[in-house]
Amino acid sequence: MNILAIDTSCDETAVAVTRNTKACSNVVWSQASLHAKFGGVMPSLAQRQHEERIDYVLNKALGKKYQNLKNIDAIAVTIGPGLSIALGVGINKAKELAIKYKLPLIPINHVEAHLLSPFVNSDTNIQFPALGLVLSGGTTMLCLIKNIGNYEILAETGDDALGEALDKAARFLGLGYPGGAILEKLAKAGNPKKYKLPIPLINDINKNRFSYSGLKTAFVRFFNTIKKPTKQDISDLASTFQEVAFKHVENVLEYQINHSSLTFKHLLLGGGVANNIVLKSKLRKLLKNYNISLCVPNNKKLNGDNAGMIGVCAYLKYNSSNLEQFVNYDSIDRNPKFRI
Amino acid sequence: MKIIMENSKAISIAVDYLSWGKLIFMATETVYIAAVDATNPKAVLKLISFKNRPFGKPFSVGVTNIKMAEKYVLLNKQAKNLYERFLPGPITVVSNGKHTVAAGVEAENGTLGIRIPNYPFFLQVANKFNKPITTTSANANYQRRPYKLSDILDNISDKQKKLIDLMIDAGELPYNEPSTVIDTTIDEEPIILRQGDIKLKNKNEIFSRSEENTMNIAKELWQKYEDFKDKRAIVYALEGEMGVGKTIFVKGLAKAMGITDKVTSPSYDLLNSYGKLNHIDTWRMLNPNQELKEIVTKELINDKSIIAIEWADKARDEIRKHAEDAIIVWVKIKYGKRENERFISWGNL
Repeated sequence: MNILAIDTSCDETAVAVTRNTKACSNVVWSQASLHAKFGGVMPSLAQRQHEERIDYVLNKALGKKYQNLKNIDAIAVTIGPGLSIALGVGINKAKELAIKYKLPLIPINHVEAHLLSPFVNSDTNIQFPALGLVLSGGTTMLCLIKNIGNYEILAETGDDALGEALDKAARFLGLGYPGGAILEKLAKAGNPKKYKLPIPLINDINKNRFSYSGLKTAFVRFFNTIKKPTKQDISDLASTFQEVAFKHVENVLEYQINHSSLTFKHLLLGGGVANNIVLKSKLRKLLKNYNISLCVPNNKKLNGDNAGMIGVCAYLKYNSSNLEQFVNYDSIDRNPKFRI
Repeated sequence: MKIIMENSKAISIAVDYLSWGKLIFMATETVYIAAVDATNPKAVLKLISFKNRPFGKPFSVGVTNIKMAEKYVLLNKQAKNLYERFLPGPITVVSNGKHTVAAGVEAENGTLGIRIPNYPFFLQVANKFNKPITTTSANANYQRRPYKLSDILDNISDKQKKLIDLMIDAGELPYNEPSTVIDTTIDEEPIILRQGDIKLKNKNEIFSRSEENTMNIAKELWQKYEDFKDKRAIVYALEGEMGVGKTIFVKGLAKAMGITDKVTSPSYDLLNSYGKLNHIDTWRMLNPNQELKEIVTKELINDKSIIAIEWADKARDEIRKHAEDAIIVWVKIKYGKRENERFISWGNL
């Protein structure tokens, strides 16, 4: 089944064509590239950017092969969670095309798509029930995947997301934005045990939530006690922050594995923080003790916001059956707080 | 539950009820209070259960004069000055307690807030009863301020109603702020825990010792402006370093507004909406003034929304433009000396 997928949930304007679980094209236009293209003109908010660039991204994703939606069987679009005005741009475009070409229009949850992103371009035989971990700038969530479309949230953040906390720590250290990747690079040169920062919610008896606001506060307060931080100090701080932030994920994950009546073969990891190599090796090490293998998208682009995962999510959920339920376009609307 | 009018006959009825360990509601110069005998443990438990709040959150108590106050607290020089300057009147002075009231009235650190309301009926009851009376406001935790009996009755459950034994109706009270709460045990200088009509300094600055305090201050700041709800848009512009508790403050606002959704940081999505409350963060915006303009739209202002903006200082110019069509409350949160301490100040723009 060929699906045209659109995602404009936040910064990225993303369009893809997917064939079953394969991303045939997967075009992402981020704020950063827009910035370069328009020669440093400061882009304004997501909505206008998405409007300016969606046709370009769409045409690029369709290419000659799928021009005029030739050979496309359905359209999938992210309806949430995300920024309402940004979501609206993708939804409007998707509706316009669905009406014009008389195609089913499938509404997709962005977080669910991250959760299932390890399926994209992969032939691993993932078995359910499985665990799912979405770690990004906007989401920090561990869930039980009973089956595709059937999830139970085991833990999620009550304040900041992990990716957000890493970005904030990075900017606080003067490393720029988005800082998660820069922080990771710098952390390599640092000693993760040099300083002591509190592991979030270490005293929780039932580890069924995440929190990063306390760590952020402790980090700022600690940093302010260092008189003149050297380059090495900054690396050590970056390394320590990352270590402690990840330790929190490991703790919650291990608790949930130990307290589940089920056994798992796979953990699916998605979201931008999944690009972090240190995190992946820590998770692999932990999961090995439980004979669980880590499934993570095979390239960086699939971890960040993209539409390939949206198309594949639509395929996995609905296959080619039941598509006639998706012809009532009016019922499809943005849902900024959409829960899985 | 019995309801009687406030008059001279009501004095001895109130005293009887208090001495029987009952929960009674009566007026002061600020708001209606939930009064019990502060030395009666059972009566205090009843009050805790009515207020629907955890054990260990202290209650202020009302007395008639400084001499009576000294039976329950140790007054230092700061405290004595405050008593002389402002009492009777709408302030609550926090001192170290002598542990002569029932458990659950003093704070966990042993301090106790004392009030001498400038309200003849209260003073007559307290004088005749001759024991300290709790003077906590008569609303349940995070509910509307009680200026008339219906403010209370309309916002509580049947279970809570059953706990009330007597209500003394003094009609609708003037809309005065709850008392200013001043702690004399923290520092050389008095520290303000809640800002009412009486001010010690030119600026509004409150001390917070915990996340819960910060949420509570947000609640107070919501209640101060709640009257403008549905009449004007209300903007809470939040300024303060990373990790200082801006999102915690918004959690308090949401709770006070009766929003039960989990409030999380909007840094990534830029805007999270919870009914009337719109929670915005400029931290990630490349051009905050411009981007805020696109989020805080005319409709949002015209809809009389409540808007909380984190890192508001980055978009000061854009926020100022709304000074005509919205109430703007500028809130600054600063780190204090010790780990959980914060100073929260605010002003109108």
